[in-house]
Amino acid sequence: MLPPFDYHRPASLAEALFLLASLPGTKKILAGGTDLVPALRRGDLSPDHVVSLSQLAGMREIKEDKGFIRIGALVTFSRLAEFPLFLKGPYKLLAEAALQVGGPQVRNQGTIGGNIVNASPAGDLLPPLTALEARVRVCRQGGERVLPLAGFLTGPGRTCIHPEEILAEVDFPALPERAAGSFVKLGRRNSLAISRISLAAIVIRGEGGIVEEARLALGAVAPVPIRARKAEALLRGRKPSPALLEEAVAAISETVADSLGDRPSAPYKRAAVRGVAREALIKADPRFASGGC
Amino acid sequence: MKPFRFRATVNGRPVDLPVDPRRRLLDVLREDLGLTGTKEGCGEGECGACTVLLDGRPVNACLVLAPEAAGCDITTIEGVAVEGRLHPIQEAFLEAGAVQCGYCTPGMILAAKALLDKDPRPTDQAIKTAVSGNLCRCTGYVKIVKAVRLAAARLAREEGAV
Ligand SMILES: Cc1cc2nc3c(=O)[nH]c(=O)nc-3n(C[C@H](O)[C@H](O)[C@H](O)COP(=O)(O)OP(=O)(O)OC[C@H]3O[C@@H](n4cnc5c(N)ncnc54)[C@H](O)[C@@H]3O)c2cc1C
Ligand code: FES
Ligand code: FES
Repeated sequence: MLPPFDYHRPASLAEALFLLASLPGTKKILAGGTDLVPALRRGDLSPDHVVSLSQLAGMREIKEDKGFIRIGALVTFSRLAEFPLFLKGPYKLLAEAALQVGGPQVRNQGTIGGNIVNASPAGDLLPPLTALEARVRVCRQGGERVLPLAGFLTGPGRTCIHPEEILAEVDFPALPERAAGSFVKLGRRNSLAISRISLAAIVIRGEGGIVEEARLALGAVAPVPIRARKAEALLRGRKPSPALLEEAVAAISETVADSLGDRPSAPYKRAAVRGVAREALIKADPRFASGGC
Repeated sequence: MKPFRFRATVNGRPVDLPVDPRRRLLDVLREDLGLTGTKEGCGEGECGACTVLLDGRPVNACLVLAPEAAGCDITTIEGVAVEGRLHPIQEAFLEAGAVQCGYCTPGMILAAKALLDKDPRPTDQAIKTAVSGNLCRCTGYVKIVKAVRLAAARLAREEGAV
């Protein structure tokens, strides 16, 4: 038995928001429960109320709409990993990241909204969503706000969500066909390993085979995911080749070094990120391995 | 605490009982329904001993609050055998020597069943992925993968015979 709390199971988003606005005392939102249930059991959290989102079917949808891809906060890792749009092309990095979370059981339960609000530095969906330049839509009774994920995540385990707000949806602008994405995480062999270091890469090809735009987001090297801006800038306008790959890898490693400073994990991560970066860039654009067009 | 009316289908039978909403699905299955084949290992989502199928998908019953499973179709290891006859996956586990202490076995078998229901001819990689959320401290995974492969072959033959 878990410590005492009142359990609520609202039938609509409006009812859920009303409950959150009006219930006295502390409250926690329950999505898949993979983070929350163990935390309640351990006594790390002891809210007066638990508000379950399980009846809010509208938050389980994935839609393409007016140049945006919209993902409901209750979409599970398994759904992301199976959704046809995410199986190839630019959005593959989302499915690849979702597939590397936990084991099948955790993937069937854990949600994208929970991964974002939990805001673990090792949260596997955060680097891909950072590279996709995602926004979150946060609702409260009588209003909502839309803000960039990068502004929403404020530190390890911290976001700027208020207790009476629900993260309803994540969206990001659609990418052109000539974009490709990849996600690589270290320590993948142990399927339950919490990610130590990861890179989500998006490479958009321009005319003449040059890199029109590269977006590189690193996970687990800072309190929140960070973009490897130096490497992004040096890739822009150039043609992928093994030599360019090494320049980019060195720049990514520098970003990691700047971010970690003299933490004990710094020397290891600075070196380890090189392998991760090579693999992710080659997966996103094989010309980094072979040159050619 | 106001009890929650828990209505669901468990192993094909309807159940309807009041539960304290702070209990986990694992507790209700084991304590109220006597389905003790579902094991508690870590209680943290790490080991898979508590695996059950929720609408055909494996989940860890230690991470699910009981009321969250209301309205679902739940399968536990007790619902896998048909009319007292072991399911081909269960037979294959015994024959392949994939069971030692047996603590992980119910969860392994349900994870394997979810896989084979969806993908009757899985690759070894797919089998390994399917059981990657289930820990076994005795057998090692070689025999477990072999058992799932054997079960797939048997099930395919049974299908063919119908
Ligand atoms: C064995 C195991 C392995 C794991 N492995 C990984 C891994 O490899 N990579 C990884 O990234 N994570 C991993 N996790 C962590 C976890 O599964 C994820 O963070 C998951 O995305 C959490 O989602 P949930 O729906 O289960 O969240 P919950 O546990 O329901 O909620 C988590 C937090 O977010 C809040 N919340 C949830 N949804 C909303 C919403 N819509 N609006 C507002 N607040 C909300 C809750 O109040 C709570 O504070 C693992 C967990 C376990 C148990
Ligand atoms: S007891 Fe549920 S996963 Fe270990
Ligand atoms: S047989 Fe003992 S844990 Fe698997």
